Amino acid sequence: MSTSVSPDARTVWRAVRTPALIVLLVCAAGIVLALARSAGGPPLDPRSADPAGGRALARLLDRQGVTVEPTYTSAGLRPAGATLLVTDPDLVDPATLSRLAGQAAHVVLVEPGDEALTAVAPAVSRENGLAVTTREPGCALAAATAAGPVTIGGTGYQARRTCYDGAIAQSGRVTVVGGPQAFGNDALGEQGNAALALRLLGERQRLVWYVPSAGDPGLAGGQESLYDLLPGAWVFGAVQAGVAVVLLALWRARRLGPVVTEPLPVVVRAAETVEGRARLYRRAGATGHAADALRRASLGRLRGRLGLGADAGPQTVLAAIAARTGRDVGPLLYGPPPEGDAALVRLADALDALENEVRQ
Amino acid sequence: MALTARAGLLALAGALVVALLAPSWAGVAAATGVVLAALAADLALAGSVRALTFSRSGATSVRLGEEAEVSLRVANPGRRRVRGRLRDAWPPSAGAVDDRHTLAVPPGQARTVVTRLRPARRGDRHAHRVTVRAVGPLGIAARQGSHTVPWTVRALPPFHSRRHLPGKLDRLRQLDGRSAAHVRGQGTEFDSLREYVVGDDVRSIDWRATARARDVMVRTWRPERDRRVLLVLDTSRTAAGRIGDGTRLDTALDAALLLAALAGRAGDRVDLLAYDRRVRASVQGTGSAELLPSLVGAMAPLEPELVELDARGLAGEVLRRAGRRSLVVLLTGLDPAPLEAGLLPVLPSLTARHRLLVGAVADPAVAGLARGRGDADAVYGAAAAERTLAERAHVTALLTRHGAEVVDAGPGALPPALADAYLDLKARGAL
Repeated sequence: MSTSVSPDARTVWRAVRTPALIVLLVCAAGIVLALARSAGGPPLDPRSADPAGGRALARLLDRQGVTVEPTYTSAGLRPAGATLLVTDPDLVDPATLSRLAGQAAHVVLVEPGDEALTAVAPAVSRENGLAVTTREPGCALAAATAAGPVTIGGTGYQARRTCYDGAIAQSGRVTVVGGPQAFGNDALGEQGNAALALRLLGERQRLVWYVPSAGDPGLAGGQESLYDLLPGAWVFGAVQAGVAVVLLALWRARRLGPVVTEPLPVVVRAAETVEGRARLYRRAGATGHAADALRRASLGRLRGRLGLGADAGPQTVLAAIAARTGRDVGPLLYGPPPEGDAALVRLADALDALENEVRQ
Repeated sequence: MALTARAGLLALAGALVVALLAPSWAGVAAATGVVLAALAADLALAGSVRALTFSRSGATSVRLGEEAEVSLRVANPGRRRVRGRLRDAWPPSAGAVDDRHTLAVPPGQARTVVTRLRPARRGDRHAHRVTVRAVGPLGIAARQGSHTVPWTVRALPPFHSRRHLPGKLDRLRQLDGRSAAHVRGQGTEFDSLREYVVGDDVRSIDWRATARARDVMVRTWRPERDRRVLLVLDTSRTAAGRIGDGTRLDTALDAALLLAALAGRAGDRVDLLAYDRRVRASVQGTGSAELLPSLVGAMAPLEPELVELDARGLAGEVLRRAGRRSLVVLLTGLDPAPLEAGLLPVLPSLTARHRLLVGAVADPAVAGLARGRGDADAVYGAAAAERTLAERAHVTALLTRHGAEVVDAGPGALPPALADAYLDLKARGAL
């Protein structure tokens, strides 16, 4: 009777189901995680249709006859005579920002930090955070009074001229907006948001829409480490995963009892000394010794073959061989030692041939 | 204590929880705390390993190459169930086929696990330790502990050459007068008188008995019985040399066992002596029934020692032990140096009182090397081999000149050749 040892479907399923379940769980968790914190691209990206993107605003401006130039790098940026919108001024190197702002006719900065303010609009200072809610203009800025109440918030600013409780501040050619939320795709339809945006950005024929992005030479040197840039969930998840790895390592490291040792017998091949002697002969080039050993062995066999005693002298042996084969083998059996390895090999072959001849 | 994979997987699940629900140090501390608390609880609830009691039974000896079973009984006197893994650890050469067992012993009960051993080398194999890992009810942590439960399994020499025994026993029966052929010579002893049948040697007719009886009577003879055979094993460094699969000593043991079996059947008394610089094993004055078991038992733990043979001490020990005239069978490597320096001076006194038979294990590799031709390496090898063979021949000649007999054969051929030499001596009545 025979038994199949190949796994059948049930065995395969049993072996595969646990790993498959784990992989499935990990994938599902990853998808849930990705959906839960889908952040999209940078806010106010003119090409992005995300809730926080700026595509709706760009379309609106375009329809109003404003030339929108979306730019993702500061290299080759020529905002002369145009409105310059910087969506994330903190990312840009203050010197670059100052140079660009100097060229532009009107500069709009979205939620700038202290460094950017110092470089571009020293008269504006940053205040507390503001909740995003509907606010009244409360100032004489033309764009604001025309737009009426808007939904705006983010960061409050203090300057000579501020609107919407500090969410909009103006100083010379520079307008500071407290946050990107008011101009996002989702919020543009609320209150007077669209009107405010159009008036702020559509002042000139040309709008340079600068979204600082990775690979931009004008970006500020990053002081943050990789650790700072990672979301907290990843960091702490990794710490806990490290704990898990330590526990798994402890699981694998613990043996079921110690390794058992025992003294092992010495393994020496009996023929090793003979091989060692052969190598010594070879290294020393001892053709004399080697030939002597081979000749003695051959002589011993020949004496037996010829019926001579062990004490038979060279003359007797040579005479017996001559009588049997008709050859004089004196130089072969009793001659001088061979010169060199090749001669030794020839000697060994000649001794073999002689023994064969005598045997016949 | 020990962990299981579940502990790590639990912590890994905690990583998901921390990442999704509580990405903070407090979350990490909480998740790790839960895992550690579960570990502690599982450890506290696992069955006690320290309280387990063990006892062994089963095989105490096994012929090399065969399998032995050793049972281990695990009793659990505690109040909690012991569930988990058990490892019955043996040294590697004991060849434990599967020494890890799944264990589940309810409180107050006992279970038996069986470990099968297939020893890889001759000699005593001692059980090392029994380690138990008792997993807790959650299956994430385990208590682990070891107990020493002594047991020894002796791996006996394999006695491969016993297949030659029937043939040699046939020859022995022919010598013994039990079959038709009769042999008469020196060293045989008178067995009985019987009637003459055609074909008997007329020289064996006993005329005096013929005169008393009506018929022609002949004497029958049989080889002498109750001779003494002393097997001497050389366990010095030359015995450690490896020829083929085994050492010289392995072949010597095999040959000694065959000879002992034969001699025991022939009615001779067999003693054993293993010697290098001191006595390693000795069997003396054993009856024929227990002869082979006691020889095998004495041989099992023998290992070659890496020392030079003290041939003079060996001869002295042999002379001291063998009071009556004996056949001394020396199994050695025929190494020229120790034999010439140590044995030759005392050889005459040995051969004067005893008959010496030397069994030497030759290496077929050397004979193969001696036939090497074709290039310089092979011819130098041949020269070295011829030199070695010449030295062996020289020692053989020296021993023969002093009255010893030498059997020089390869590992497979030595046991039957030595048995033949013994039978020849027996037939010649030369014991």
